[in-house]
Amino acid sequence: MTSWRLVWRSVIYYWRTNLAIVLGVATAVAVLAGALLVGYSVRASLADLVNRRLGSTDAIVASPLFFRERLAEHLTADERFQSVFRAAVPLVVAEGVVTAQESGRRASRIKVYGVDERFWRFHGVTPVSLDDREVAVSEALAREIQVQPNAAVLVRVQRPSDIPLESLHGRKDDVGRTLRLTTRRILDVSALGEFSLDAQQGEVTAAFIPLDRLQEALEVGDRANTILVARADRGTAPNDIGVTGDSILRDAVEPEDVGLTIRPSDDGREVIVNGAAGLLDDQRAAAVRASSQTGSARREVFTYLANTLHVGEHQVPYSLVTGLDLSTLGAGVAVGASANGIPPIVLNAWAAKELSAQTGDALSMEYYLWQDQGQLVTKTADFRVAGIVPIEAGNRDLAPSYPGISDATNLADWDPPFPLELRRVRPVDEAYWDDHGTTPKAFVAIETAKQLWASRYGSVTAIRIGRSADEPIEQAVNRVRSGLRTAITPATFGLAVRDIRGQNLSASQGATDFGEYFIYFSFFLVVSALVLVVLFFRLGVEQRIREVGLLRATGLSPGAIRRLFVTEGVLLAAVGSALGLGGAVAYAAGLIKALTTWWVDAVGTTELSLHVSLPMLLAGAVGGVLAAVVCIWWTLRGLRRVSERSLLAGDLAAAVGPSPTTRYTRMAAVGLATLGVVLTILAGVKMLAPAAGFFGAGASLLASALIAAGIALQRPARRDISGHGWMPVMHLAARQAAHRPGRTVLTMAVLACATFILVTVDAFRREGHSGTYERSGGTGGYQLMVRTSLPMVHDPTSEAGREELNLLSLDPSTTLEPLRIRPGDDTSCLNLYQPKNPRIAAPRDEFLREGRFTFQSSLATTDEEEANPWLLLNRVEPDGAIPVIGDANSMTYVLHRSVGDEFELDNGGTPVRLRFVAALSDSIFQSEVLMSSANFRRLFPDQPGYQMLLVQAAGDLQKVAADIEQGLGDTEADAFDTGQYLASFHRVENTYLMTFQTLGGLGLLLGTVGLATVLLRNVLERRRELALLSAVGYRRLHFVVMAAAENLLVVLGGLGAGAICAAIAIAPALAERGGRLPLSTGALLLLGSVFVVAMLSSLAAMAAATRSPLLDALRSE
Amino acid sequence: MLEVSHVSKVYPTPRGPLSILEDVSLSLSPGDAAAITGPSGSGKSTLLYLLGALEPPTSGTITLGGQNPFALSPAEVAEFRNQQIGFVFQDHCLLPQCSVLENVLVPTLVSHPAASSDRQGSGGTDRDRARQLIERVGLSPRMEHRPAELSGGEKQRVAIARALILQPRLILCDEPTGNLDPETASTVSALLLELHRQQQTILIVVTHNAALAAQFPVRLELRAKHLLPCQHP
Repeated sequence: MTSWRLVWRSVIYYWRTNLAIVLGVATAVAVLAGALLVGYSVRASLADLVNRRLGSTDAIVASPLFFRERLAEHLTADERFQSVFRAAVPLVVAEGVVTAQESGRRASRIKVYGVDERFWRFHGVTPVSLDDREVAVSEALAREIQVQPNAAVLVRVQRPSDIPLESLHGRKDDVGRTLRLTTRRILDVSALGEFSLDAQQGEVTAAFIPLDRLQEALEVGDRANTILVARADRGTAPNDIGVTGDSILRDAVEPEDVGLTIRPSDDGREVIVNGAAGLLDDQRAAAVRASSQTGSARREVFTYLANTLHVGEHQVPYSLVTGLDLSTLGAGVAVGASANGIPPIVLNAWAAKELSAQTGDALSMEYYLWQDQGQLVTKTADFRVAGIVPIEAGNRDLAPSYPGISDATNLADWDPPFPLELRRVRPVDEAYWDDHGTTPKAFVAIETAKQLWASRYGSVTAIRIGRSADEPIEQAVNRVRSGLRTAITPATFGLAVRDIRGQNLSASQGATDFGEYFIYFSFFLVVSALVLVVLFFRLGVEQRIREVGLLRATGLSPGAIRRLFVTEGVLLAAVGSALGLGGAVAYAAGLIKALTTWWVDAVGTTELSLHVSLPMLLAGAVGGVLAAVVCIWWTLRGLRRVSERSLLAGDLAAAVGPSPTTRYTRMAAVGLATLGVVLTILAGVKMLAPAAGFFGAGASLLASALIAAGIALQRPARRDISGHGWMPVMHLAARQAAHRPGRTVLTMAVLACATFILVTVDAFRREGHSGTYERSGGTGGYQLMVRTSLPMVHDPTSEAGREELNLLSLDPSTTLEPLRIRPGDDTSCLNLYQPKNPRIAAPRDEFLREGRFTFQSSLATTDEEEANPWLLLNRVEPDGAIPVIGDANSMTYVLHRSVGDEFELDNGGTPVRLRFVAALSDSIFQSEVLMSSANFRRLFPDQPGYQMLLVQAAGDLQKVAADIEQGLGDTEADAFDTGQYLASFHRVENTYLMTFQTLGGLGLLLGTVGLATVLLRNVLERRRELALLSAVGYRRLHFVVMAAAENLLVVLGGLGAGAICAAIAIAPALAERGGRLPLSTGALLLLGSVFVVAMLSSLAAMAAATRSPLLDALRSE
Repeated sequence: MLEVSHVSKVYPTPRGPLSILEDVSLSLSPGDAAAITGPSGSGKSTLLYLLGALEPPTSGTITLGGQNPFALSPAEVAEFRNQQIGFVFQDHCLLPQCSVLENVLVPTLVSHPAASSDRQGSGGTDRDRARQLIERVGLSPRMEHRPAELSGGEKQRVAIARALILQPRLILCDEPTGNLDPETASTVSALLLELHRQQQTILIVVTHNAALAAQFPVRLELRAKHLLPCQHP
């Protein structure tokens, strides 16, 4: 006989008890490893989606501006490119709205791709041949708008414009283009119908249009905005392909690719560098200045349209005025400002004549200015005539190219995007236009021009670089081009190589760690399984207490005996964990199935599939076995205290009874209770994070309650059991519950944990929308949210803006609050991927001052900020960080940021540090991060107009929504109820909670099995006592009442402890949510079921114990 | 008066009926004390269970105080046992979760309050009686102790006090000293007989212990399924 043999014999002999232990461990391992597998499967499924949807794309060259399509060829011609990459293909990527012409069904936010045969070849799929009237659509899009091949669809996309929409010359009434096309094919996954550069788990709705057709519609010539790049060998060690790509790109880029044009001046004396946008923004101007620092003369000019020049009674309409260095106009010009600060203006001879102006005369100028909030205003500036120069002092090429003006044959043909009074145009004005075109009629100092007309889009219209007399102009052009190529870093203009596969795969690691979540969700299940392991192991030890005594009597030390039992326990745990691994795969498969069906609201995709990972399985198995072994060790720890005599006598109470209550035990109970209450208070006054407060308080209070229950059970009885009738019988039953305090407390613990979870989870359940829209609520008092696919550039808060936007049918008291939007990743729980580039929304300052919504926390330091944390958005952070506000849910669970934390945003190659200064409490802004309008305009000057409206409607909501959608038809607006929108987030949250409750319910089931086992064991152990009671006159009904009473004590103790601890722990959350009492019908039903099942278990246990003749237990023979 | 008349007990088994007792008759009056001996398997405990109304006889009648318990409903039999019979078992069968006092009071919990009133006339409340009995068996200092804190003899003395608490007509003891050393056994048996004499109950003890049996005025022996006068001195 060896120790191993003894262990093996024991395992076999006590197989019934051991089987229960093995099953308990198997359950714990299955649940733990299964939860880890779910997390792994979600991540792997998201990565699968990324890989599938990217096709052969590894990196992209993308830019906010269109660049030459041939840039792709230049890249591939580079030797360095060929060593890292294998192919590059240009395409146009846009977002649009697709409508089935026949049915009128519409789908917005569609990915519209302009592709040609190169695209399909790049991905290695059979090319889809499309003529220029055809479109191929993804299966999801075909399903959404219900089209079949040959159906006619209308595709509407935003028209890119070199000239910013929010500048004077931007065409605000012409923001989109509509193409009527015939559906040629519906592309499935294998045909790359799901092609997407975005990391998103939802279905891909995409339309593929011939590249040249889309280029033609968008009026971008042979330009594209994206190049797909494939790596030569994806298997090689990943290097930073973005850095490599950027260095290749830098050498391939021409100034035109970043929105610069270079041409000789008409007189051949200068090289003119213009912005494609009509203006040179500060970055581009700086690049041009940097490129021409080597001694060449350089003139900056700013040409603007003056509506009217007045001198006294005389006026000239619609004149171009150029800001430049006035000293370059020649002698006789007094360039300084007059003593009273009035700036100088120089007229050409024609204008001076028409205005009858003399040097020294006062001149006033009227001009339009487009204000950032979307309003066109007329401004006036006063000047002093400082000189008169010949017409030839200016040139036509001082004005940039403005479509609708510079290309007009006659002045009367002007078609600018702002109002003109053509009746004011006189024949002499037409004659000037015929003879001199855009030649400026007046000149002001460049500083004055910048002061009057500069905007976020730039402060010069051109930089003119001189040449030496002996340098041919062609050579000068090449010199400037070469200088610019050296000076330009494409990434600073947003033209950069992005490791899209790497970024998307990184994002697929997920905002939400489902493994972690399911460990939380399954926590109670694991605890129940482990409690069962403890219970069964304990029962097994109790069953063999005499054996322990015998081993001790034969000389084995307590340590040696414990080692024997631990060995046995480890063996059982190992067998259980092996079984559990199979269970883990089944459990994970079940959860994945549930996530793609019943709980699909939580993930928003049916594309998840089970991925089995050996490391995850092993981690779960090791975790489960360790937990089981710790439990077993804990069970055995008391054996050494007991004498051999007690063991041999089978004295269970002495052998495995609880340690006697000590002063320290009582102190621990009081201390933990105090800690729980303190943590609750701290969370209530927001000195502690709600989650930390809740979990800390919950755990402390539960531990305290259970220790207190143990102390109470061990406390000597204050009152003897005496009297007659049912009360003393029940008192006797209660005494029985106290007789095995360890078992009773363990059983109570399972029930208390279950109750705690059910009550707290239910308390966090969000209500559906109540139909009210409070200013301080999650909707901010707005009933509708409107999203537009194309930007609105007019101010919807002004009457003029409403007129331009066709919204005059709205009741004037209907409030419209416009927000600017920078497209980006959804930051809400609807997005499973980790947002790398969050969507940004910017409300107006007027909105900030209104102080709507409620904040969960903020960095407010002043009373004013405390009262209205929105004001923090306009705070200037000393370290240059940009203040932003997020929704607390999105910050915590998706962005994993707290108030005060920063998030680095990649703004076209330039990192921008966003600092969260406040967190909104459960708001409609869960999908975006909010910043001030001023910071938005500064950081994202290319992002035009508003793409979101919040509406506080007067009158019928449906009608208001319909009026807005109709009025904003050109921008493809969708209006929806903010209450319903908020409820859609709550649905996700509630689905998580339902998951939690369901798995908690499973744990409860397991706990109930444990409860029933304990009850049966208790009753079986007491058969002799029951027989004695029967002999002295107790009836079956007495036994039933005793069992029920004993059980009632345990069940009510467990339920009560759980419910009270939960009520305290969730008090801050309840107070925050308006004091709604927790416990839905479902949770009450579950708790009721626990109660009923527990009571029935007790009766069943008693029935089982008393079915066989009790009196046999009394026989001495 | 305990009247046992032509009682037999047959257990059905898969291999046919198994007869344990045949034609057993016995008559004892209050104040009588009888010891029943016999080899293992002779049916001593079975007879005790029949006398205690724990099992019905296959044939014959048993009456106590003129009442046939086997003609009663199950609830009435339970009450009959509660009021008329006291048991002392070899394994004392004390409730480990209850104190000495409470163990003695266990039968009173389900007894009829009216019966309790009757008893009050003879010795105060059940509680008082329990204290007196505990004092009588010499365990007053251990009144609040739990069974785990008592020796084997002390436990058996508690069991005797419990058997007497409701002043039953009949006390049935199944090997009451079987687990005790001779000295303790002698103390316990003396106590049993003394209390029996004081309370004028009918006392029946089944035992292997010849020394114990020798202390009883009536000694019977179960032999070949029949109850016969004991042939040994």
